[in-house]
Amino acid sequence: MKCRVCKQTAAVALPSHHTAFCPACFAAYFARQVERAVHNHRLFTPEERILVAVSGGKDSLALIHQLAGQGYNVTALHLDLGIPNSSGPAREIVAAFCAAHGFTLRVVDPAEMGLSVPEVKAAVKRPICSVCGKIKRHYMNKIAYEEGYDALATGHNLDDEVARLFANTLRWDRDFLGTQGPLLPAQGKFARKVKPLCRLSEFETAAYCFLHDLRHGATACPYSKGASFTGHKKLWEDLEQRSPGSKTAFYEHFLTHGKTAFAPLAHKDREPLQDCRICGAPSNLETCGVCRIREQVFAVKEKAGADLCGQGREAKNSL
Amino acid sequence: MITVHLEPEGQTLTFDTLNTVLQLLHKVGKRQSQALVIRGGELLTQDRKLHRGDEIVVRGVTSRG
Repeated sequence: MKCRVCKQTAAVALPSHHTAFCPACFAAYFARQVERAVHNHRLFTPEERILVAVSGGKDSLALIHQLAGQGYNVTALHLDLGIPNSSGPAREIVAAFCAAHGFTLRVVDPAEMGLSVPEVKAAVKRPICSVCGKIKRHYMNKIAYEEGYDALATGHNLDDEVARLFANTLRWDRDFLGTQGPLLPAQGKFARKVKPLCRLSEFETAAYCFLHDLRHGATACPYSKGASFTGHKKLWEDLEQRSPGSKTAFYEHFLTHGKTAFAPLAHKDREPLQDCRICGAPSNLETCGVCRIREQVFAVKEKAGADLCGQGREAKNSL
Repeated sequence: MITVHLEPEGQTLTFDTLNTVLQLLHKVGKRQSQALVIRGGELLTQDRKLHRGDEIVVRGVTSRG
């Protein structure tokens, strides 16, 4: 297979585009896709400050590397979720990567604020992936808003967006269908959220990292087993294999034709937002979702403490 | 003999004969868009020929949370 541009031996074949590229031409193609997303969806301008959420995985590292390469003003934000055998190595990868490339790194540790994910998992009855996502979004928004960044960028790629759109469509979730896309404008205390990798698949971000020698984490979160998005991605992989380009068509046509139908209906029945009585974050209720989770964690800890005291008293009495 | 290292599974397989990357992907149950195929620091497309003595890495690309 030859590179479509320079006719050298190809390194990356892209059936969805009926093409293949050598390493140098693939890098140019990758940059063009990001430029196109930023330009077409008006994600941000070269003068703006971008906070990039960096997990240590291939997508977020490729994103910040590419945006910096295009001259954008980027700062990395990493959340240490306190997950055993996962968060520690991820934090080390991010710290080493940022040091090697000269990126400013901001680390937030929700565990220090009573929200370590293992303790949260023990305290709540809901699926931990949804709760963990809520905590991450809360702190990413908080830092972006309070520290005056113009946009918060995440490494969501085309596969992530297609899996999410598919899940939202299965439920005909008009709130999410009306707002899904590479740009969520700033509103009140919500910072602008952007997804500059929305035109690139995870195969492409993995190839980008390999060709640029970006060392990234690949360890699965120990709590992510059975997550629904993974199953949806497999279904879409089957479809893409039979009909290359399906993912791009599904997502891009949704953005141009489908989203506009749902946008007027999104959050129509939502209670007006107010400031959380504890942390001041925007919330539908008096106390925001994250502060309610923290209260649940404290309640479980207090109960465990009281039970331990009770056991101690019983043991003492039996002597 | 061709040696194949599967990542992130950490498994190593050997094959007596394999002609192309496409054949290898079929053998390990992966599709072209699900894995990078690497030989000596080079990414291989699915039409590339494999040779006796090759050491290949098949690196899965799907995020797992």
